[in-house]
Order: sequence, then structure tokens, then C-alpha cells
Amino acid sequence: MDIVGPPLQQLLRRIAETPADFLDEPRIGKKGRLEVVALVNDCLRNKGYNPDAAWLKHFISNNPRADRNRLQIVAMTTWVLADEWFSDNPLHELSLISMLQNDLALLAESIQRDQCLHDSERCEEFARFLLNCLSLRPEGETELQAIDRLSALSSTERQRLLKNSVEAERRAREIREALAKKAAQESADKHTRE
Amino acid sequence: MNPFQDDQRYPTLSQVGASMLHFLSEHPQAPVYRNQSGNKLTKNDLEILNRFEHDLRLRAVDWDDTRKPTWLKEFVEQVYSNVPHYRSQGAPPQFHDIHTITRAELSHDITDFVPDSVNAKRMIAFSTTGTSGNPLTIPSHPRVAAMYLCFHRRALRRLGIELTQGPSHVGVVLIGFQSRCFTYVSVTPQLAECGLAKINLHRNDWHNIEDRGKYLDALNAELYTGDPLSLSELMHVPLQTKPSALISVGMMLSAGLKKQFETHFQAPVLDIYSINEAGPIGVYDSTLNGHLLLQPDLFVEIVDAHGNPVPSGERGEITLSGGFNFCLPLLRYRTGDFAAMSYTAEGPILTGLAGRQPVRYKTATQQWLNNIEITHALQHLPLAQFGLHQALDGALTLKLAPVSMTHAKACSEALEKLFGLQSIKVVKIATEDKIMQYTSDLLDAHT
Repeated sequence: MDIVGPPLQQLLRRIAETPADFLDEPRIGKKGRLEVVALVNDCLRNKGYNPDAAWLKHFISNNPRADRNRLQIVAMTTWVLADEWFSDNPLHELSLISMLQNDLALLAESIQRDQCLHDSERCEEFARFLLNCLSLRPEGETELQAIDRLSALSSTERQRLLKNSVEAERRAREIREALAKKAAQESADKHTRE
Repeated sequence: MNPFQDDQRYPTLSQVGASMLHFLSEHPQAPVYRNQSGNKLTKNDLEILNRFEHDLRLRAVDWDDTRKPTWLKEFVEQVYSNVPHYRSQGAPPQFHDIHTITRAELSHDITDFVPDSVNAKRMIAFSTTGTSGNPLTIPSHPRVAAMYLCFHRRALRRLGIELTQGPSHVGVVLIGFQSRCFTYVSVTPQLAECGLAKINLHRNDWHNIEDRGKYLDALNAELYTGDPLSLSELMHVPLQTKPSALISVGMMLSAGLKKQFETHFQAPVLDIYSINEAGPIGVYDSTLNGHLLLQPDLFVEIVDAHGNPVPSGERGEITLSGGFNFCLPLLRYRTGDFAAMSYTAEGPILTGLAGRQPVRYKTATQQWLNNIEITHALQHLPLAQFGLHQALDGALTLKLAPVSMTHAKACSEALEKLFGLQSIKVVKIATEDKIMQYTSDLLDAHT
């Protein structure tokens, strides 16, 4: 978040004004009309990058259950990135690629595209999330303010903490069960017993 | 068909190893073996153990009061990234800013201290009740259990003793002496399947009490290990054979009893400071006047009540970092045992080792005496176990192991001399568990 980005309000407005074309049903298998892969390709080319055909396959899917929400969020992101601020300011290619491929997939696990449109907190989270992925902070905010605000809003952070705590509990249970087993308590040979 | 074939307990058992198990368990004078254990070591484990043993022979404890161990920084980083209790605290601070932990923390939730990298499927457990009121189950691994032998060999080698390899003899007999005791037979693959037996000398475990001597003579073990109580009982067993050495662990061994053991068994006795949480830590050497540290990968600090290291030579709590139990890497773990640290050409030594928090006693002339002075006053007597308690009115009660009651008068005299004209009540220890050695009801007794 070390670079000053656009004003937050500008992004929130842009998200609220997402055209119907970008909200159309993404193409998955033979259903849907919105070719998200084409949107991603255009987005990167407009920024001066030449995406690899193999890499673009990340945005083609036959699995609506796994990919529908993700592709919807990616489509809306390409609309946000078409904002004039992003046209006037260079974006780091690797950050952009990583965001489109990985970060948005993570976000899609904890937030629905429609929430980004209709729920003001999720809308702000979405905007701040995009800026954070691109190492940007909203104009008028310090880095610390931007981090604090995103942490307070972050669904992915909540999801991560929840996942970690579930995983930690599973691991603790596994160890407790292993130690409680008769085989473990029979122990193994030591040459002395304290 | 090998009747002892058991891939879980003895994954690499050969026919000759099986013969040893048969000999140990089916001998006409054998005790009742109540449990089963096993080395549980795979071929891969044995290769790792061989390398460990080889490296250990070449390594010394490489730190002193001017420099920390070379491996410590990397170890701390690994613990902070791989152990849940520490990972949740973020980046590692400076070493001395790391909070010390005690048995109470481990006892509260041991799973929080097991690294993510440890495969729970092969985990084993050692349970301890201790004397601090915090029962604890120590997560361990068959390889960790087997590594005890490597450190014992290191200690024995200092006396010029090399353990014999091969399935034609019994390597070690672990001696217990309790009404109930975990007993079993096994073989030690690191020593080419020599025999191992863990026995209980209590009459409950024998068809005929006379069998104890006959059986142990038949085994003719190279090594006996036990605590001062069980080894004291072993002295009552008439033996025609003699071991190469004895190892005493688990309780303080007085100089008087050590000398008595050595005279009786005509073999050297190693007094090893060993705890379940960390394994064999040090071996006593009378010429060094302390316990020489045995583990190159264990950093030992002596700290004050606040966890700050005390100057070399000053007494404090023994605090451990590192160790060989990869299921429970320790980081500034306060053992509850007390000593001072000094440094010799052979490595660091713990001097004046004593279990548990120091306790002060009031003499007849209202002077304070530290418990270490009690230890010194009774050091010359061959006591298997003792405890001293001071009541609110200043009255002293000395508790002695039943086997040590013959020394009651000599103990009273030694303590009366130390305390002035007080009379000391002497009672027999009723429990079979370890007791708190030094206790007091006086308000200012715990400094």
C-alpha cells in the first residue's frame, strides 16, 4: 500500500455503476454469454501487457459451482480497472496477473459478487481489496489507516482466521487421539525411565 | 514361523532377535511380564539413528557464557514458524525476550507445542505425574526413545566403557521397584539386537522371590538402570554376576549411596540428570563437581524468578531450549530444577543440582538455611530418597524411604547439628511416587 491510488469514492461510484454487460452471466461450458477470458485479455492489453494464451485458460471453465462467482468478480474487476485513474497510471504486471488469477479467487471464496454491488461494506471491502492487491492505498489515507480499514472489513481475513482455527483444532484433535491410543501409551524402549 | 513377529513392535526383528525375546520371557525364573512395548524402529529409523550416533561422537557442546549455540537462531525461527503456540505470537523476538514456559503450560495443552511437521501416526507417549501437581503426557517418537541410548553411550564412553553389540547377550535391564510397574522385554537393534528387559523387583511380579537373583544372573546384563530406590533394592538381590556399569536417573543420588552402589556392584555408577521433557541432560562427574552436559543440541540457561539469566556460578532455575525430541522442541522451558552453571574444558556443567524451587529452613537460632545445605549435610549417607518438611512452629520432619530407615539416627544427628538443638522427627515415606524433597509451611521459606 505504499503508492497513492485513486480516491475511494471514485471507485465506489464506479462499482455501483457497473454496466449490465459486465454483470451478465459468465460463459461456463455452453451456458452464459459473458466471455470473461476476453475481458481479461482486453484489460491486460489496454495496460500494455500481452497475456499468454495458456495463462488465459484460468478464465475458462466448465464448472459453474466452482467458478461462477469467481468469474463474475473477475468481470466486475475488469470494469473497475477500466476507470480513467488506472488508464493514466501504470500498474505492475505481476501484481495485476496475480490479482486476477489468485487473489480474486480467494476473495470469491468469502464474498459474493452481488454483495459487492448491493452491500455498502462489501463494496468498500472489494474496492480496498483491489487497491491492496495492486499495492495502492486510497488517496487521502495513510498506509496504516488503509491497512486498518481493510482489516476491519476483510471477509478473506475472517475466512483465513476461521480456517486456521478449524485447522488448528483438527490438528490438536489428531495429536490428542494419537497420544491417547493404546499403541502410543505402550510407548517404545528407552534405556532409562525417569 | 517366528512367534514374536510383530511389525509394529519389532519391525526389523531377526530370528536371533526372536530367540532373545524367547529367552527373556520364557526363562523358568522369569518374572510376570505385564505389558508389551518394543523398539518400533524401522530400517529407515535405524539409518537415521546410526548417523545421529556417528555425529554425536564428533560433536561437543559448543557454547559457554560468552557465546550462544551456533544453531540457536535457526532453531528459534523454526519453532516460531512450525509450532502453534509460538506461531500465534508472530515474529520471534530477541532470545532473552522470549517468555519462559513451565510444565503448567505444557500440561494445559500439549498439542499446542507439537510442531506441524510431526506425523501424529507414529507418535508415542510418555506419561509423568511429577511432583508439581501437573500430570503431563510427553509426545515422543520411537527414534527419540532410542536416542537415549546414544547419550548413555556418550556418558559411558567417558569412563572407557563401550557397550557390546550382538544378540547373544542382554544389554540392559531396567530395574523398577513398585507394587505396579510397566514391565516388558525387547531387543535393541542399534546394538545388533542385544536383549532388553524392564523388570519390577517387587514380590508381586515373581512366582518365587528367590527367582530374582537366578533370573538376573541368567541374563547377566551389561547394564542396570534404575532410580536410587530400585537400585537400593537390587542390592538385596544376591547376584553372582556383575554389570559393566549402572545408571541412576529420576532422583537425586547422594554421594554416599553412589559409593555404596559402586562398592556393592563393583562397577561404576553413572548419576544422570534426566527428565521426561528433555531426556538425559547431564552426567555427574565428581572430579568436575557437577553434571557435565551431554546434548550438543540443548541450550541450558540458569534463570531467576523473572526468567532473566543469572551470572555464571549463581544458582537459579534450569531452563532448556532445543533438545532431541523433535515432537516437543523446547524453548526456554523452566524445568523446576535448580543449579548453578560453570564451564570446564570438557563443556558446561551444572553444579549443586537440586529438584524444585529452593526452600529456606529456620534454625533454632532463627537463622535461615538454604536447602542445598541440607543436601550437603546428608550427602555422605546412602539414602535412596528423603524429604524434609518444616511446620509453622518450626518443627522438622524428615521423611525417609523404607530402605533408608536404618540411617534414621545418623540423619537426625546430622540435621540436629545443622539446625542447633532441635529434635527431628523421622517418618517412613508411604508413597511409591517421587515426593517433593524440600517443603515448608513457613511464610518466608520460598525465596
